[in-house]
Order: sequence, then structure tokens, then C-alpha cells
Amino acid sequence: MQHFAELFIASVLLAGLYAAMAFGLGLIYGVLRIVNLAHGGVIMAGAYAGWWLYETVGLDPYLSLIPVAAAAFLFGVVIYRLLVRRLPRGAAGGVQSLLLLFGVWLILRNIAYLLFTGNDQTLRTSYSTKALSLANASISVNRVAVFFIALAILLFLHLLLRKTYLGKAIRAVAQNPDSCTLVGIPIERIYALTFGIGTALAAAGGLLGATLFPFSPSFGSAELLKSFVVVVLGGLGSIAGTAIAALILAMVEIFSILIPGFPVYLTAAVGFVLLVLVLVLRPGGLFGQRVLG
Amino acid sequence: MTAPILRAEQVAKRFGGLKAVDNVDLQLAEHEILGVIGPNGAGKTTLFSLIAGSIPPTAGTVHLGDRVISGLPAHRAVHAGVVRTHQIVRPFGNLTVLENVMVGAIYGKRGPAGARERAIEVMEFVGLGDRASALPANLTLAGRKRLELARALATEPRVLLLDEVIAGVNPAEAQQMAELIRSVRKSRGLSIIMIEHVMPAVMALSDRVIVLDAGKKISEGKPQEVVRDPKVIAAYLGESAAKAPAEKPA
Amino acid sequence: MTVSPREPAAAKPRVPRGPVLPWVSRQALVGLVVVVALAAAWPALLHPSAYQKNLVTLTFLYICTALAWNWLGGYLGQVSFGHSAMFGVGGFVSARILLSVHVPFAWAWIGGGIVAGLYALLWGHPTLRLRGPYFSIATIGVGEASRLVFTYWEWFTGGSSGLSLPIESGLKARLYWWGLGLLAIMVCASYALRKSSLGLGLLAIKSDVEAAADVGISPTFYQDLVLFLSGLAVGVTGAFYASYFSYIEPGDMFGFVQSISFVLMSVIGGVGTIVGPVLGAIVFVVLRESLIASYPQLYLGLYGILLVVIILFEPLGLMGLFFRIGKLTGLVRPQVVAKAAPGGTGAVRE
Repeated sequence: MQHFAELFIASVLLAGLYAAMAFGLGLIYGVLRIVNLAHGGVIMAGAYAGWWLYETVGLDPYLSLIPVAAAAFLFGVVIYRLLVRRLPRGAAGGVQSLLLLFGVWLILRNIAYLLFTGNDQTLRTSYSTKALSLANASISVNRVAVFFIALAILLFLHLLLRKTYLGKAIRAVAQNPDSCTLVGIPIERIYALTFGIGTALAAAGGLLGATLFPFSPSFGSAELLKSFVVVVLGGLGSIAGTAIAALILAMVEIFSILIPGFPVYLTAAVGFVLLVLVLVLRPGGLFGQRVLG
Repeated sequence: MTAPILRAEQVAKRFGGLKAVDNVDLQLAEHEILGVIGPNGAGKTTLFSLIAGSIPPTAGTVHLGDRVISGLPAHRAVHAGVVRTHQIVRPFGNLTVLENVMVGAIYGKRGPAGARERAIEVMEFVGLGDRASALPANLTLAGRKRLELARALATEPRVLLLDEVIAGVNPAEAQQMAELIRSVRKSRGLSIIMIEHVMPAVMALSDRVIVLDAGKKISEGKPQEVVRDPKVIAAYLGESAAKAPAEKPA
Repeated sequence: MTVSPREPAAAKPRVPRGPVLPWVSRQALVGLVVVVALAAAWPALLHPSAYQKNLVTLTFLYICTALAWNWLGGYLGQVSFGHSAMFGVGGFVSARILLSVHVPFAWAWIGGGIVAGLYALLWGHPTLRLRGPYFSIATIGVGEASRLVFTYWEWFTGGSSGLSLPIESGLKARLYWWGLGLLAIMVCASYALRKSSLGLGLLAIKSDVEAAADVGISPTFYQDLVLFLSGLAVGVTGAFYASYFSYIEPGDMFGFVQSISFVLMSVIGGVGTIVGPVLGAIVFVVLRESLIASYPQLYLGLYGILLVVIILFEPLGLMGLFFRIGKLTGLVRPQVVAKAAPGGTGAVRE
């Protein structure tokens, strides 16, 4: 039972990270109807950016979240303005945007190889090994911090989407771009900002991930798949749906070690199996197809 | 009425809490043209989707002859003999007009043998004979509606479901389309259910009309009878308008 | 058939002469025969070096994989980033067959191919049922998961130390001919999948899945069929590759780089065209041998830049350039270009 509680706490903490990583992907898909395959690359870039800032300037990874997210936001806006905007919208753009953003991902990966080699890196701070003890269980400080920061990010997004003019405009564009043009919402600017926000979220997620796991230039591809699983499970842009879906994924992954004889290397496939099950059983996602609800 | 060719019994479709189609009964006689009217959002297109197999019903059954076709996937419903057109036309944009129609001929009831000749025949029938190698994007809206009809006819159905094939085109083209629908029944022996917003066309073409409102069938009968039904007037114009003519004679 | 009344508005029908979908046009057939004959005469006439012959054989294989990828990615518009999974399965299954029973090579290749095709169905069937990008995203996971799983399955794949296959004398020389034969089959199959009535159905599915179902096409069946065939063909090629190098290891066979090259070859040549992947594979091999060999640390970025630039400026790759010239000179009809267009470009919406 003790073991069970520990696993559950671990799942909840991991779910925060997954939710933060996935939300950007869902936001961009919900508004632009494009799967941002560069998402994985930006996650990886965020991890390296945090690591590099810590190694060179000694900036605490949690503080570097702000400059890294800001830089990723700009990067996202530039990618949108320079590349994505030029693709046709709709079904034709679908295939093309997949290939194009996949290309961006490859370029990011190559830059990472050139700058930092293909070796695994870890972000080790003075408090990396510290742990809180909570009723016999010990929980790493980092995991708790990542969880609460992810929660804060999601709360911030919730307020942004619900309470601000920008957020309302984003939700409106997601639901019906044509009528937004009619009422004078600058739709291109909304697209660019959305792409920027989604990219910033990916980088922030990558940085948070880097404080917990080792990473290399190929970091991000498993995370992209996990993000996608969360988006499919939780619906697009619904904060509560994203959170619950992230928790389900994290629990399935973590509790799979309870299965006797379950090989650890198959954990990578767990998310995929979950994805297939959801696609077969509930093609609309667990909570229906709510767009930025 | 002799045994109907198509019979829907208590079909219903719920989307979450919304009853899009609420226990509707419907019968279509051989060679009949049945009009389906109703205000926007009354569930007309959903009803078509239930009959054509695009979506499975929540409850109820649809029979074609003595065969149950509800719950069949769309392509099986086509093979059984029920085919639909779409309100917003959906031609295959990457295929020419002839190829669009050939897809219907090849994958419809009769299979690939002689598909090209059959497609040409249907194309000429709907009046697209001279546009065989055009791409759909280069047709007028009326032309694309004809193409939508041709592609459906090429599958050689017994029952044709037409979703607003007249609405949106100019009066002369509407007249031609109405003529075409008549000749579809006459020379091809089809039974037709048509959703239509253009009232004069429904009145002129339909043998019978059913009226849907909020997913329910609220009236059924000859076109002239149905338009005088207070329930129908209420559905279209609101309660007060329905009462007004009733009060007049009093 | 009933005699139909003519519409008053209809002018005298003018239907273009000749088949609209010619089953392998004469030019294409002549072209294929000439190329195959040239490739067949080449070793005897010019006495190429072992390096050259090796490169040409590899090009044959790359062309086969590009064509197979394009069936799914181009003809149906379902982009796969994980085709290395089937390449690897085909390779290892055939290797195991050759190591355990004494059968002709071709049998082992076909066996590997069939298992690879079934493997593709196993994960592809559920994801292909849904429209949108589900399949593409799933393929990223499949490629990665397959590589991990097969690397850990040491009893089957030899793990990271790999497997050595039986060697026969003169095998490599013979495999040049087999490769050429495989290539010819793949080109013919590509024509069949594109130009037959089946091809028309695939184009309809690519354009609009629901409208296709509404005229009697079963999208699930045909997408599964093409997925199986594509997996089978990539699997056979992987099996062939294994026999050719007589040594394979999971990291290479299931590698991300394999998947990327399948995508890239089609994109370079022209996704959704027949000849495109052939040209793309040739350009790809030349590029790899000249550029990438000298700058191995830059290949991912170069692949990425190629993808971005091509999709941005000429989404149909080399064939797009060719079509553009053809349009200017009036040699290529717009109807031909429309078919290669990525999913549903021409879709007319009011």
C-alpha cells in the first residue's frame, strides 16, 4: 500500500510536466489545425537552453524559464511568419506542414549535435539530490518544484485564455476563423501569437524535463508522442481535460512497473498502446471533441 | 400505399444531450419524391446521414426493401442501393469531371466493368457531357451540383437522397435542376428523398412532404396540406403567426 | 441501360478520345524497358568498379523503398515517419528464416516482406481509421518503439551486435540482377496502383474520405490494403538489403535515418507522382555520396533544410519543376498536376 501511494504521488508529479508539455501542441492544433512536429525539437532546445544557461552563467534553471520561454516565443513567431504562413490552409496544408515542421525539427537536432555532441547531458543543481520526506516517502525537491511550476503555467494559461482579450480572440479563431475576420480580429496576428505561445510552452516543458531526466539531441521525440497522446485523450485546449489525460498517461506509465516481468524498455511503447486504445475506443477523445472549451 | 422501398422506424440520434433526430418514422414509396423541409437545425441533414450510413443511429432501424441498412457503413449502404449528395458539394478536386463520375461507377453497385461508358452516359444525362476533362474547380456552382448528382447516379442506386441540390443557384439553373430531378425519377426509375429550402421547388416536385422541427416530425402529407398546417407555420414563423390565420375566420 | 433524355442545356457531348486512365502508357512502358535494358547492359559494357556497382545496386533498393513509401504518403496522403520499422522487420525476419532453414533467398525475402506488411497493419489499422494527422504522429512513436524493442530482443536480432547472414560466393553479383528485377516490379506496381481503377479510388480517398465512402468506397479497406502493400514492399527491400550486406544490426535497420531518407527521397522527387520517387532516390544517393560523406555531422540539418526549402518553394519537388516547365510549354495538362497535389488541394468549398 505504501508502495502504491508512492507510485501515485510520482504519477501526479509527472503528470504536471506532461500537461505543460502537451498544452502547447494542443493549443497550436486547436487554433491552426496544424500538428507542430517541431514541438519535439523545441522541447529538446528548451532542455539544452536551460542546461547551457546554468553551466555558463550559473542561472538557476527555474529562473531561466522566463528568458528561455521568451526566446522560444520569438522563435515560434518567426517560424510562423517565415514558414508556416506560406502553406495552404486545410487538408493540403496538413501534409505539407507535417513535412515542413519535421524539417525544422531535423535542423534543430543537427544544431544540437554540432553544439553539444550526441552525448547524454544532465542538469545538476545544488539541490538536485535533495528530497522532501512525507510520511515515510521521500520525494525529490525537483519533482515537486516542476509540478508546481507546471501547475502555475497551466493556471496562467487558463486565465490568459479566459480573461484577456487576446485569449478570447484565440478561442474565437479556434472556433470560426471566418467570422473572426468579419468582426475585425487580426487573424494572422492571432495565429502568429498562438504559434509563439505553443512554442514557448514546449521550451518551458523541455527545460522542466531537463531538471528531471538526462537528455540528448534526440530528446523530444518520445515527449512529442506523449504530448500527442495527452492531446488526443484530453481534447484540444481544455485545461482540465489536459490535466486528467496527463495524469492517466503518467499513471499508466508508472504503474506498468507493477506488472510482473514487464520489461522496462517497453515503457516507451506504453504511451503508444494507450494512444491506439483511445483511438479505437473513443476516437473523439475521452471528453469529446471540445475545442478550447 | 404499396410496400415502401425505404422505411425508417423510430430512428433517433443524440449528440450528447442534444436530440438531433428524435424518433422519426418515414416511408418512401417506389418512384416517389418525398420532400423534407424544416427550419435550420431541424435535423434534416442528420436524418440523411442516418439513412445513408454516414453515422449510426442511436436507436431505431432503417429498412431498404426487406433489408436493414441502418448501422451499415456508408459504402455498404451505397452497395445496398442508397446514395446521398452533400449540401455543400464535395467533388474530388484532384480528379476530372469524368473521373469523379467514374469513381461512382466503379465503386457503386455494378463494379469496374464498363464503368467508363456508364460514367459517360450519366455525365451526358445530367448535362455535363461537354465538361468531361474539366476539373471541378472550373465548373460553376450549378455545374458542381450536377456533378454531385452525376457521381451519385453513377453508383446506380435505388434510393437517392438529395441534400439541397437546388438552393444557391440562379432561377434559370434551378428550373433546369428541377427538370433534371423529374427526369431522374421518370427515366431511371429512382425513388427520391430531397431536403430543400427553395419552397416553390419542393411544392412542385414532391409527391409528399414531411416537416421536421427540433428533430421531431411535426407534419406529413401532400405539399399543399402541409403548408397550411398550423404546427408547420408555427415552426417556421413562431407561435403568434400560426395563431393569426386561425383567428381570422373567427 | 435506359436511354437517357438529353438535357436541353447540354451541348453535343465531347468526350476526350483515348483512355482517360491509360493502363501503363506506351511512353512509360518504352521508357521502363529502355532503362532496365541499359541498367542490364551496363556491367557487361562498361566494366564498372565494385564501388560503382555497389552504389547502383543500393540505388535500386532506395528507389524501391521510396516508391513503397510514396504509395502511402503520396497516393493516399498518409505521411509515415516510421517506415524503418517495416524495413527492419523485413530484414530480421528474412535473416532468421535464412539462418534457420535452407530455402532460396527469394523465399526468405517474401517471408520477411509479408511479416513486415502484417506488422504495418497491426499498428496502422487503428490509426488510419481516423482522418487527420493521427497516423503520421503514431508513425513517429512506432519507429522509435520498434527500434528500442528490437534492440532489446537479443535472442531474435542479436541486439546491438547484430546478425550475420549466410554468405554464398558470387551472391553480390547476382543480387545486382535481383535488385534490378525488384525495381522493375516496383515501378510496374506503382503504375498499377496509380493508373488503374484502384488508383482512382485512392485519389478519391486522398481528396475527401467521407465523400469517397458516400459513393461506395470503403476507405478502411483500401487504406489498409495500401498500407499492407507498402509495408510488404519495404519489408522485401529490407530483406534484400540484409542479404546484400550479409550483416545487419537493429540500430541501422530500424534507425530514424532510414525513415527520414524514405520521406526525403519522395519529397525531393515529388510526393504523389510515379516517376518522382525514382528521380528523388537517385538525387538522394548522389547527394549522400558527395556531400554527406564529406560532412557526416551535417546530414540531419541538410535533410531538414531540403525538406523545408522544397515544401516551401516546390511542394512537388523535381516533378513540380518539370510540371512547371510543362505548363509553360503546354506539354503537361493541369489535370495531371492536380492528381499529384497533396491531399484535397483542389477541394472546392463554397
